[in-house]
Amino acid sequence: MAGVTLRGVRKSFGRIEVIHGVDLDVADGEFVAFVGPSGCGKSTLLRLIAGLEEPSGGDLSIGGQRVNDRPPAARGIAMVFQSYALYPHMTAYDNMAFGLTLSRTDKRTIAERVRAAARLLQIEDLLDRKPRDLSGGQRQRVAIGRAIVREPQVFLFDEPLSNLDAGLRVQMRLEIAKLKADLRATMIYVTHDQVEAMTLADRIVVLNAGRVEQAGTPLELYHRPRNRFVAGFIGSPAMNFLDVVSEGRADGSVRVWLPGGVPLDVAVGGAAPPAGAPLTLGVRPEHVGLADGGAGLVATILAVERLGGETHCHAALEDGQRLLVRLDGDRPVAAGERLRLNLRGETAHLFGPDGRRL
Amino acid sequence: MGLKRMIGRVAFALLVLGIVAWAVFPFAWAIVTSLKAGSALFTVEAWPSQPSLANYTAIFKEQPFGRNILNSLLAASSVVALSLGLAVLAAYALGRVRFRGRGLLLFVVLGVSMFPQVAVLSGLFELVRWLGLYNRIGSLVLSYLIFTLPFTVWVLTTFMRELPKELEEAAMVDGAGPFVIVTRVFLPLMGPALAATGLLAFIAAWNEFLFALTFTLTDDARTVPVAIALMSGASQYELPWGQIMAASVVVTVPLIGLVLLFQRRIVSGLTAGAVKG
Repeated sequence: MAGVTLRGVRKSFGRIEVIHGVDLDVADGEFVAFVGPSGCGKSTLLRLIAGLEEPSGGDLSIGGQRVNDRPPAARGIAMVFQSYALYPHMTAYDNMAFGLTLSRTDKRTIAERVRAAARLLQIEDLLDRKPRDLSGGQRQRVAIGRAIVREPQVFLFDEPLSNLDAGLRVQMRLEIAKLKADLRATMIYVTHDQVEAMTLADRIVVLNAGRVEQAGTPLELYHRPRNRFVAGFIGSPAMNFLDVVSEGRADGSVRVWLPGGVPLDVAVGGAAPPAGAPLTLGVRPEHVGLADGGAGLVATILAVERLGGETHCHAALEDGQRLLVRLDGDRPVAAGERLRLNLRGETAHLFGPDGRRL
Repeated sequence: MGLKRMIGRVAFALLVLGIVAWAVFPFAWAIVTSLKAGSALFTVEAWPSQPSLANYTAIFKEQPFGRNILNSLLAASSVVALSLGLAVLAAYALGRVRFRGRGLLLFVVLGVSMFPQVAVLSGLFELVRWLGLYNRIGSLVLSYLIFTLPFTVWVLTTFMRELPKELEEAAMVDGAGPFVIVTRVFLPLMGPALAATGLLAFIAAWNEFLFALTFTLTDDARTVPVAIALMSGASQYELPWGQIMAASVVVTVPLIGLVLLFQRRIVSGLTAGAVKG
């Protein structure tokens, strides 16, 4: 087992640079998820680690050894592709055994390893079948089995669940979590689904436009996003952002005025912005409460989405700014009604004009 | 409306009938003629009154036709094997490897196939003499590659390009080099394309006349088309029509057999990549 280290890794396609110097340490046995919007470079970064793309600059090491010039097979990695990429003309067994056959491992070892992986993934009955006779979930298992059989130091997953339907995706997500516990291998997992990232990963790396926006544990990203991008990307439904005006600093917090003349004190870490500076207030839909009395932020409900367990209210403040409020499933609210909302300073975030969290 | 549809159907059936007749008649006539003997050749009839296989036995007894067939088989299968082998390797390079001048190279390959055979004939003749291949099957294998390679390379390149990239990458992660990728991952998936292009190459080589006429001298090096064209009768004033027709039938039947055998694969090979799935 081994960790993965990236130092100033860059990648250009022609004149366009898509990865702008990424530094990253993945510890031995850690499960790291790369998330970000499409085109952010998360798959490219994974392919750089796999050796399927050559870095234009920087150093890449796996298990303490520089692997820039090594072919994929000599890096101690195994990759699970989004499209499974099973060899269509081979049985599940042969698919899993192919890599070992090429490295001239003796037949008995191959059989042992394939059977062991098949047992782990519960596909022992399917080993004689061709990929076309397997369902999506079964193919995915075979693809994961092919990776396990190689006994890699690092597993790379490229959006492995995105081709499965919703129910199966949840099931496979649990299985990957189990696999992570069983194998204790280093895993890097690319996904655009933040639920997968939040539930599976020890650490999440949020990428945007070829840069690392923030790397941290799922809850760190949720509670202390470094900037507005991460704040908006992590969490579902997404965080609300409101334009507010700062009144200045007092006792480690900043007082801002919300629309309708409601004050709010938000704790900040760094230097406080001058009074009158335009700031962005971020507050998650689940942290917007209903005010008890007559005080609070006044909002008009525009639309109500009932999901059963919870209710999403799209509301507009007095000055027209939109806000999403998450309420209980059975709360009797309807479009056109007025709500009195209560925001709390400790669950709100303030972002400066450059998008950084204060 | 029923009447209109009826007329449409009848017209369509007639059209199909016409096309079939147009395509089949020459071959049917060749069969009929090959079964006639002597002066019966010059009577017009749908089926010979006294069919005989004399012409068929004659081509193998009076002419070295068995040998000619063997030559043709040898030349055509060597051409198929060589051009498929070379084309698969070329297709990997042209279809999957990015390099400067790839498009230009593909067009050069295509351009080669546009030269009229006569234009390269004299140059090729010198080459064949220099290589010591004159009057040998080798000269035909060499020269046939000129027209089989361009289309085998093009068809296989197109086909290879359609194969998913992840498959190649998965094989790379599994430790396969380019040769293993081509032979053990791509080749098994290219069955339809190989069958289609292989058969077309076989037919082209089997039917070729000009090179075969130029590069061979004696009967025992001749291929079928040349042998048929140069078939002579008992005297120089007699053209053995019956034997010529018998020979034509003998060499056409295996081709038809091959096409029927592979027809599903040919269709799927030629349309491969046109529609995903």
